[in-house]
Amino acid sequence: MSPAGCSHVNGYKVDNWKQNLRVIYQCFVWSGTAETRRRKAKSCVCHMCGAHLNRLHSCLYCVFFGCFTKKHIHEHAKNKRHNLAIDLLYGGIYCFVCQDYIYDKDMEQIAKEEQRKAWKLQGIALSLSAVSACVCFVFTGIGEKYTTWEPTKRELELLRHNPKRRKITTNCTIGLRGLINLGNTCFMNCIVQALTHTPLLRDFFLSDRHKCEMQSNSCLVCEMSQLFQEFYSGHRSPHIPFRLLHLVWTHARHLAGYEQQDAHEFLIAALDVLHRHCKGDTINDNGKKANNPNHCNCIIDQIFTGGLQSDVTCQVCHGVSTTIDPFWDISLDLPGSSTPFWPLSPGGDGSTVNGESHLSGSTTLTDCLRRFTRPEHLGSSAKIKCGGCHSYQESTKQLTMKKLPIVACFHLKRFEHSAKLRRKITTYVSFPLELDMTPFMASSKESRMNGQYQQSVDVLNNDNKYSLFAVVNHQGTLESGHYTSFIRQHKDQWFKCDDAIITKASIKDVLDSEGYLLFYHKQFLEYE
Amino acid sequence: MKMENMLFSGPDPTKLEGLVHDIYSELVDDACLGLCFEVHRAVKQGYFFLDETDQESMKEFEIVDQPGVDIFGQVYNQWKNKECECPNCKRLIAASRFAPHLEKCLGMGRNSSRIANRRLATNNNVSKSESDQEDNDDLNDNDWSYGAEKKAKKRKSDKNQNSPRRSKSLKHKNGELGSNITSEPYKFSSQYNYNPGVNYETLGPDEVRSLLTTQCGVISEHTKKMCTRPPFPDAGATTVENDSFDIPDTQTLMHRLQWEDSPDISPADSASSKASTNHSDSRKPKKKKPTSGLSSGGVGSLTGGSSSSSSSSSQINVSLANKKKRPKLSAPLIPTIYNELN
Repeated sequence: MSPAGCSHVNGYKVDNWKQNLRVIYQCFVWSGTAETRRRKAKSCVCHMCGAHLNRLHSCLYCVFFGCFTKKHIHEHAKNKRHNLAIDLLYGGIYCFVCQDYIYDKDMEQIAKEEQRKAWKLQGIALSLSAVSACVCFVFTGIGEKYTTWEPTKRELELLRHNPKRRKITTNCTIGLRGLINLGNTCFMNCIVQALTHTPLLRDFFLSDRHKCEMQSNSCLVCEMSQLFQEFYSGHRSPHIPFRLLHLVWTHARHLAGYEQQDAHEFLIAALDVLHRHCKGDTINDNGKKANNPNHCNCIIDQIFTGGLQSDVTCQVCHGVSTTIDPFWDISLDLPGSSTPFWPLSPGGDGSTVNGESHLSGSTTLTDCLRRFTRPEHLGSSAKIKCGGCHSYQESTKQLTMKKLPIVACFHLKRFEHSAKLRRKITTYVSFPLELDMTPFMASSKESRMNGQYQQSVDVLNNDNKYSLFAVVNHQGTLESGHYTSFIRQHKDQWFKCDDAIITKASIKDVLDSEGYLLFYHKQFLEYE
Repeated sequence: MKMENMLFSGPDPTKLEGLVHDIYSELVDDACLGLCFEVHRAVKQGYFFLDETDQESMKEFEIVDQPGVDIFGQVYNQWKNKECECPNCKRLIAASRFAPHLEKCLGMGRNSSRIANRRLATNNNVSKSESDQEDNDDLNDNDWSYGAEKKAKKRKSDKNQNSPRRSKSLKHKNGELGSNITSEPYKFSSQYNYNPGVNYETLGPDEVRSLLTTQCGVISEHTKKMCTRPPFPDAGATTVENDSFDIPDTQTLMHRLQWEDSPDISPADSASSKASTNHSDSRKPKKKKPTSGLSSGGVGSLTGGSSSSSSSSSQINVSLANKKKRPKLSAPLIPTIYNELN
């Protein structure tokens, strides 16, 4: 008997009590199917006052429903000496002798099992909000709910004897750490800061989800895991990521060498190596390993992979050929002197979407996205063979987002390579804290083509809303410069990471910065 | 649904609102009840106190927001003496010089293969004068950690005090150096024999070709050593690096670059980079272009790495130091060897 239980349940635990209890849970507490829900709604009324609500309880000994607030169940208990009742909303068991809810180990076990069964029946789509709660939903599969950790008796004892605790509050430095520059490695440090502050990735590694299958010590995912341990260790001195550098150079040869590099290239290479080394963690719904290379289910792909839809429309027969390619980042052109930036797509709303401050003439991230998704006339020199016309015709091509990744990384192409010059484009591009990707989705484009030009922003549809959480900036020229980053550790708390120096930054600092790589995280997560 | 029926049959807005309010407050009540149950259970099971933390710990990890210090309350730039152990050669290297050291250590830098080969060649030659010179070279080598430099300097002063020990300490040191270097991974310069005099007979045609395209290759009649001077006069430094990266064992290179070529979809095949029209080149593995020292070539990239101006000057130091080293090896022309090979 657990300390939170009571001796009065012993009177109940006779004969076929387990089965009886299960039936009560299945029918009246956890409704798995629509049918049981209907039955519950119809039959669960207070036998004395007919109320549906008021904390309805069911007697465990007989078929009696009574409300708690009006003490009808108490009366029944007194009259019939049935000392146990169950709360129909949350399944808690009340003992009238103790006059309190009690927690009996065996009964709780049954309750948990029935609850799981009901959830499994309830099925697939469960929306959830708040990024931090998403951890186990994404990883444990469909129908399994996240349960809080509970200490065992022994653990409780240990914890009581050791009262010193570290708690990550909003004003806590744990999770932040500087990184030593190993010699032109600021590009690596910035990407590491961005990755360690990606909430999903952080949760994955801190809950120890990586099962390594590599024989040697050269798994980059293991090193990443180690990195998170270092960041959350509470150490104040900056970390020296020399092992990480060595591993990256070993696995991505083209990046090796002591010289200044591009942060975006490093990001792609790092994601690629992590993806390759994640083989031990890919699990199908059936629990089997996913051997299909085109449909990898590793954590990197789950977080960073999106689908880009490319529609090629033949100008003659208007037949559309569609392909969907995966992407891990979105590279956006900027207004430079050589390439024409405007005109934008027809029918695009000119108003300020996403609440960006549209200073006269300054480019916004939304402008760049609009340009990215505009229909492009391919010209007479690039005729495509049309399946409908069976001949080479001129066509237009348009890109839209088919599937959005959980973390969207925008790469502003701040370089220009024309015949005459190679230079860095330092145009200020304003980007928002919150971004709505709905206008750039393939589904939006379809509705636009069907004539619904006026697209009202659906406030209740949260699928495509993103929040900024990391910005990587570059100062300098095309040949040489220095990378710094801004990362968001807690809601609305930003920090500037300049190699080994971490300082607090204001949101204004972040939004006024030039911006080279922008990391956005989906605000609301759903099951597939 | 019932609600809609009521709407259509003579709507009574106040009644409707009342119902809506009722439902809403019931939902809120239920949610609060759930929270109460959670807390109640935590208290009863005895783990409610776990959420608390002690004041001391809170203060310890509080974020500091003052000018001149970082969030931990530490002054900037106090991390100059950090060291780390190289996973390759196991030496202790200053952290801020780790990247250039690792580059040389793994044999990837532009001069590393040349230096390595010289060291191998001189390692088994017993002449004292050369080992002296070797010591001096390595003392000037920038990527040794501060600790080691101090040790080396100290040994020098010991040398002067007691002359019979002189040769001993030097030999011992030379031995250390030698062992450090022969250990491993010059994987990419594996075509170089570990024989002191490079014997052209034992090398295969491919190896000889790669050898001769990167270095002068002439073997001195007197010392039997091979000249490692790069083939082209000036822009020499960069073209050497270009070739030495490409030539060794293209097989391993291809294998390592496989993420570019593999049919598996990977982040390298990011469709958006390919889809963009502003690029003049596609994203290929970056080859180092023959440009001046600081740039790292590569299309469509922003290079950045220096934390301060010191790193740029250190690169210049390296190239200057190399220029100093070159004239030391004598290399009289021996046309006969070339004729044979051709």
